[in-house]
Amino acid sequence: MTDLTPVTALGASTARRESFGPLTITEVPDVGLASLALRQGQAVPTPFGLTLPAPGRAVTGKTASAFWTGPDQWMIEGPGQGEADFAARVRDEAPGCIVTEQTDGFVVVEITSDAGAAPLEALMEMLVNVDPGTFGPGQATRTAMHHLTVFLLRRAEDRLSVLVMRSFARAAWHALAETAGRQAR
Amino acid sequence: MTRLTGGLIDREKPLDFTFDGRSYSGYAGDTLAAALMANGVDLIGRSFKYHRPRGVLSAGSEEPNALVTLRDGARAEPNTRATVAELYAGLTARSQNHVGSLERDLLAVNDLLSPLFAAGFYYKTFMWPRTFWEKLYEPAIRRAAGLGALSMEPDPDAYDKGFLHCDLLVIGAGAAGLMAALTAGRAGAKVILADEDMRPGGRLLAESDLLNDAPAHEWVRAVRAELASFPNVRFMPRTTVFGVYDHGIYGAVERVADHLPTPGDGVRQTFWRITAKRAVLAAGAIERHIPFADNDRPGILLAGAMRAYANRWATLPGRAGAPVAVFTNGDDGHRTARDLVAKGVPVLGVVDTREDAQAFGDYEVFRGATVTGTRGRRGLRAIQITRGATATWHDVGALGVAGGWNPNVHLASHHRGRPVWKADLLAFVPGADGPKGLFPAGAVAGRGGTASALADGVRAATTALADIGMTAPKVALPEASDVPHAQAAFWHVPGKRRAWVDFQNDVTVKDIALAHTENMRSVEHLKRWTTLGMATDQGKTSNIAALAVMAEQTGQTIPGTGTTIFRPPYTGVSLSVLGGGDTGKHFRPTRLTPTHDWAAAQGATFVEVGPWMRAQMFPRAGEGHWRETVDREVTAVRSAVGICDVTTLGKIDVQGADAAEFLNRVYANMMATLKVGRVRYGLMLREDGHLYDDGTCARLGEDHFVVTTTTANAGAVYRNMEFARQCLWPDLDVQLISTTDAWAQIAVAGPKSRALLERIVDDTDLSNEAFPFMACAALTICGGLRARLFRISFSGELAYELAVPARYGHALMERLAERGADLGVTPYGTEALGVLRIEKGHATGAEITGQTTASMLGLGRMVSAKKDALGAVMSRREGLAAEAWRLVGLKPVGGDGPILAGSHLFTEGAVRTLDTDQGWVTSACYSPNLGRHIALGYLEHGDTRMGERIVAANPLEGQEMAVEVVSPDFVDPEGVRLRD
Repeated sequence: MTDLTPVTALGASTARRESFGPLTITEVPDVGLASLALRQGQAVPTPFGLTLPAPGRAVTGKTASAFWTGPDQWMIEGPGQGEADFAARVRDEAPGCIVTEQTDGFVVVEITSDAGAAPLEALMEMLVNVDPGTFGPGQATRTAMHHLTVFLLRRAEDRLSVLVMRSFARAAWHALAETAGRQAR
Repeated sequence: MTRLTGGLIDREKPLDFTFDGRSYSGYAGDTLAAALMANGVDLIGRSFKYHRPRGVLSAGSEEPNALVTLRDGARAEPNTRATVAELYAGLTARSQNHVGSLERDLLAVNDLLSPLFAAGFYYKTFMWPRTFWEKLYEPAIRRAAGLGALSMEPDPDAYDKGFLHCDLLVIGAGAAGLMAALTAGRAGAKVILADEDMRPGGRLLAESDLLNDAPAHEWVRAVRAELASFPNVRFMPRTTVFGVYDHGIYGAVERVADHLPTPGDGVRQTFWRITAKRAVLAAGAIERHIPFADNDRPGILLAGAMRAYANRWATLPGRAGAPVAVFTNGDDGHRTARDLVAKGVPVLGVVDTREDAQAFGDYEVFRGATVTGTRGRRGLRAIQITRGATATWHDVGALGVAGGWNPNVHLASHHRGRPVWKADLLAFVPGADGPKGLFPAGAVAGRGGTASALADGVRAATTALADIGMTAPKVALPEASDVPHAQAAFWHVPGKRRAWVDFQNDVTVKDIALAHTENMRSVEHLKRWTTLGMATDQGKTSNIAALAVMAEQTGQTIPGTGTTIFRPPYTGVSLSVLGGGDTGKHFRPTRLTPTHDWAAAQGATFVEVGPWMRAQMFPRAGEGHWRETVDREVTAVRSAVGICDVTTLGKIDVQGADAAEFLNRVYANMMATLKVGRVRYGLMLREDGHLYDDGTCARLGEDHFVVTTTTANAGAVYRNMEFARQCLWPDLDVQLISTTDAWAQIAVAGPKSRALLERIVDDTDLSNEAFPFMACAALTICGGLRARLFRISFSGELAYELAVPARYGHALMERLAERGADLGVTPYGTEALGVLRIEKGHATGAEITGQTTASMLGLGRMVSAKKDALGAVMSRREGLAAEAWRLVGLKPVGGDGPILAGSHLFTEGAVRTLDTDQGWVTSACYSPNLGRHIALGYLEHGDTRMGERIVAANPLEGQEMAVEVVSPDFVDPEGVRLRD
């Protein structure tokens, strides 16, 4: 166990959380991330028992989840694995696959609504050029948000995750908080 | 003038406002133009060129004349059309383009000088002397001719942007648009209905014709209520769809708070990008006028607008009680006379160019007659009616002009859609080659009669929905009729006096004739020569009249004369809203390094490097000049140990059985032979053989590499590598992914760097034997944290780069600073980094400019001849291979002034011309190690000219300096230190 103390992508010792009306935006630092890509001709593995999803989709398992990022490429998420060597675990679960540590490549921000889908979808309208009507639970995509490249995951009707390059964490938080705040006013 | 009866204004809600400092009162539902008219204010501004008094011409967004500056201070908004500015309590507006008062504009003298100011005057007159144009002529002309002025203060309001998706976008909420939306709404389609007006209805609000035997606005209200009950329909008032873009994307601006004094907590406007599967264009039509002598006085307006002011806003221009006349070439003008008579307004009569004109009601018709002149300095007082050889003057307070209607083909003409002339309608309608998925309906399609438009809305929506596999239910139409609309092809009244075609640009019939005489035969040339159709209204009321006049000149038909091309935006869009609200430091997102907060706490200053903020230097108390700071940091690196965040350099993870082969093809030099645990410097070439980027390539495993790029090119190199992987060599087993953000990377440089690192690594032998120059390894530090260590050096010293997961970067920096205190550890920034690399002759963006070859850097032999790689063949082409510039070091001869980067290099005594130019200085700095200024530069055959004295000249500033050509390796040229 290292004696170095990590900081979150927003530069604090604890995750940031802010509420705007029915919407709550939360930084989620304890997620391990690793990219998984197939070698040529390799069969699709089932890491952590996951059936790796088709384009535009995400799947959630008991200990890990995954979303499609490109042909024969997925991102594997390990809740609670933010400080572990999650890539090594994925490598064990998907022998022979090409795995790269991505945990700190991104900041994961979760947006939840306590008033159903409507506030979340209204927020999406102001953030991303993705049709909330067809972007239902289980959908995942890569898109642009306020000049930032993001992964967008609809975890549930009332829950959305945004993955942004870690170095842009504060810019992304500003965009999310400003937009959600405006909606709440 | 007092109000007429009726109207769609709320007389229970009076609103006070000011115009040119005077107080007036209007009602909720008024536009500024309507409210001014109701207060008897007809003179609203001065014209662009001649400073002629001008009033309201239209009742919509096509307005060329009634432009005002709305609001005060930083919110002042010039050139706002009073005809679409919604009245609110406390509105302030000012007239524009006059010197002195609006009533007595001193620059009205321009009107007397008008013979001088004909089209083309400026082009011909202000040619000589050339130097006078920028300093004298242009400012003077701009002062005299212009519209409103900007406040020059930052816009205080917030703006937003957003994205909407729908099955059917309906543009325009008039008769056709409402029926289209209703049809699609009932079909269950996701519908967006947008209209630029504050309320739906379009022309239905301006006409007196009944729907279902009741005023049309009652039907509109019922439809609006039904649409509001559909969860699948979104009605967006005050929203202008201004452009059609690729793949069914429409640009729209919603004026969220323009009808309020300030937006308060909210936004003023929102820029929407609407992705629509299909769209119905139901944008209506714009009435055209008929140019005749002195047709621009306040009180002369479009007959349809006059009807709108009377029916919707219960007002009319002109002196109270003065009779009103209409000048028309068709039936439509008679509707105005009919409505005014019904409202009890004294009507002089209708001047109809047709001999067989029929009256719509009880008023006089001047058949086969034209209006040939007007009087009234600041407002219309009389018109001259001519029939045959007989001309008579008649006192009037206002004149409505009806020249026919032009379908709003604008959006259908985006994507280079060409409108088609319909001889029976005397108008252009959308052609078949317009934007895909856009269905014109109603007046846009030439079906502007109320009954026709209603039916056409249903038809268009049904067709559009069928196109996407949706079925529309049968929708019953309200009872309506089409008013007769016979019309003569009468385009302008010939005469000797000026007859305005384009009011906004002060272009007359004579100007168009002159343009033709001057051989401006193409309509595009006409436009540019006369400025017709330019500025804020884009010729909405003038284009067709101008084409008709030009057709007459050329003896061609109107469609034979051509049309100009319509481009977005339909009406003006402010840059603020296009920017979408991201201003100031949020104009573009900023990237922060993992040690940003640590550096800030140390008092670092920061510099923008692309989107990144990098620590520039770490000034200490007592350091009065930036050079003191930089010299200290550089000296610390060369004598002790320095630490610097280098996370910003791009990192790309390359894995796969063919990773080595892939990199061999991407890098100009040999990479496949790199041993596991070793790093190699690499050069990437562009396809054309020039240097693209440089960096390092570390082999962490047999099929696992991590390559680094420069900060600036990180994204582009990754993109190019992906292109090569996916498109050039899809057969190779290789995968790429960026890990730039995942790892915090800290450079630890200086003779004591090993000693410092030995204090934090876990059980790793860092001795020169075990971990030599260009070694790399995955290891752990600080009690088990996974890390990567690279022994590479940008400074020329014994140096390492240490990478840890980004969340630990901050703590690692703290730890290095703490554990290295006794070693003299010093954080350094990009300035010191720059000095260190110049002292060592290492290239960066200043040297690798995109026009640089490997040979110029003295690295020509790195381009391997034993294999092929991107750009390798082209780098050997004739001409490029013969490039004689070589990177050299330069130091001043005698004295020690700074050498200016950008200076050009000449042999001593040479005449300084492009032909004798021998190169240039790329980078320069003060070297604290050498105690003098030094520089790097490219010099012809520089590698064979060591010791030669040449001149670095900066002719722009009249500076020159004698310099000596030396090796670019100023420090430790044998490279002993970095291998120690």
